[in-house]
Amino acid sequence: MRPEPVRQLFARLALVLGRESAKLELKWMKQAHAASASPTDLPTMLERRLQGEPLQYILGTTPFGSLDLLSRPPTLIPRPETEDWALRLASTISPMANRPISVLDLCTGSGCIPLLLCHLWPPGSTRAFGVDISPDAIRLATDNAARCNIPASDHAFDNPRNTFIPVLGDIYDPGLLKELDPPFDVVTSNPPYIPQHEYDELPPSVKDYEDPIALLGDPPGAKEHNGLSFYERIAQLIGQQGILRDGAIVALEVGQGQAEAVESILRKRGGLRTTESWTDPWGKKRVVIGRT
Amino acid sequence: MSSPEDIARARQIKELEPLHEAWTQWTRTRESLQETLPLLADTDPAMRALASEEYTSITSTLTSHIQDIFPHLLVPASTTRQLSAMMELKSGVGGSEASLFLADLLRVYTRYANVNRWKTQVIASNQTDGGGLKDAIVEVKGEGAYDALRWESGVHRVQRVPATEASGRTHTSTVAVIVLPLAEESESMNGDDELFSMDDVKVEVMRARGAGGQHVNKTESAVRLTHVPTGVTVSMQDERSQHQNKRRAFQVLRARLMDIKLTKDIENRRATRRNLVRTADRSEKIRTYNYAQDRVTDHRIGLSLMNLTSFMEGDGVQDFLDALQRNHDEDVMEEMIGDADS
Repeated sequence: MRPEPVRQLFARLALVLGRESAKLELKWMKQAHAASASPTDLPTMLERRLQGEPLQYILGTTPFGSLDLLSRPPTLIPRPETEDWALRLASTISPMANRPISVLDLCTGSGCIPLLLCHLWPPGSTRAFGVDISPDAIRLATDNAARCNIPASDHAFDNPRNTFIPVLGDIYDPGLLKELDPPFDVVTSNPPYIPQHEYDELPPSVKDYEDPIALLGDPPGAKEHNGLSFYERIAQLIGQQGILRDGAIVALEVGQGQAEAVESILRKRGGLRTTESWTDPWGKKRVVIGRT
Repeated sequence: MSSPEDIARARQIKELEPLHEAWTQWTRTRESLQETLPLLADTDPAMRALASEEYTSITSTLTSHIQDIFPHLLVPASTTRQLSAMMELKSGVGGSEASLFLADLLRVYTRYANVNRWKTQVIASNQTDGGGLKDAIVEVKGEGAYDALRWESGVHRVQRVPATEASGRTHTSTVAVIVLPLAEESESMNGDDELFSMDDVKVEVMRARGAGGQHVNKTESAVRLTHVPTGVTVSMQDERSQHQNKRRAFQVLRARLMDIKLTKDIENRRATRRNLVRTADRSEKIRTYNYAQDRVTDHRIGLSLMNLTSFMEGDGVQDFLDALQRNHDEDVMEEMIGDADS
């Protein structure tokens, strides 16, 4: 190790992040370097961080609840806000092995939400599917499932396990859900929700590194420009006959200021009877919960 | 599988063992005395000499029972004997030299824990540029860790020439140590000791994240807990995971609240007595490490140990902890005698 460059790089990082954050990040880089046989040395990590690359891509992992998930560009890095509501959702529902439930996660990305639910709920209680349009995301979700020791299928009758199946698919494809074995007891999603005008203002660590299709709330050619296109589509999907089981729960993450609009979409188009919003640790309405 | 009743019973038997052993030995020695007494007047001088020797050894055994073994059995079994410990170390006066000494002390405690087969884990620490530690929280997991280490609470003072000091002047620096009782997480889940209600704990995240969510991918995992009734606050930011930081912050909070409860229990017990025994003040200087004189002195019991290296690199800390435990036991016995007199 060359100590002098590290010191200089750290000083520059402290100017960007503040001294306290820079110290913590340096410590985590040292820990990650010591823990893995990765060839990335400390100066390289610091240089990449100084160029604006997210720490999670540099270290290659992101903690999510009690899981330690892989993070690879360009798939969206799991956020602490998502971790918070996913943990809360996990403690709201208590499925049991004698009556397993079906979970559908749309725009699954790294697979963080269904994997955490599978990890926290009792063995044999949960069958989860995670749909994403990005092959990169599906590869990462598959690797993460293996890392968390959650199989895609379960054949052991005496020792049941929770399962997670990553599915490459487009939620605008009319035939998508028929392949997935509905009805579902739980539907979750952290769909892209950032409107174009806000996207243009995003910090470089997000805009230059994370997949725009995981962030932009209105796909090209969409009617809406408020970042709500995917909620309209998800409401349409779950509003169809036979998709949700009676008593099902729907949890959709939303961006700042979108909660009320999404609650209304879920009631009007999704046919859900009751909706509420949960607040994240930073005081923002972060997830809309709907029930049949 | 053994039932909880079985475990409790086995524990009780184990705790009564020393009492049983002491009584058996006492009775047996008394019997030997009875057998020996007539022989002291035996006609055979050789036999008389033997008996006299025997008599001396028996009397000394009986005396040690009366003076030492029985009184010690009077000291009630510690109610905290099952607990693990959490040690908080903070550097005080002396700047970077205090931080260096903090790192040295941490090594002493880690080694001591290893010798006792307790598991240590540093759950929070602040490194300084010079290779020292500004502060640290270390968990020492294992039965008896709290009881053994609790005497380390207080201010530790070091007098030495810092490695960083070119002119060779001796500096005086301090490190404050607080030893907290640590219950197993699983134990406190069953509501045995209701230390706090979740409604009384305010959980705060430390920094603003603007719009948050997908808009921000910076790691902001720092957490602060405030126990509103006592005003105890715990901040934790060492882990990348907010979830982990929260879990650890709750561990520290639980340890601090348990500490408050134990202190209050002791005070309540003392308040019922006439003689107020001196309370352990954590801002009190308890020990000095003087490098120039190669000496460690504990100011509470006036014990000095020559050979500082054996403390810093060996098992010298054991001598102090043993002496402090003895001192504590004697205090307890004095209190009991005081109670009996009143």
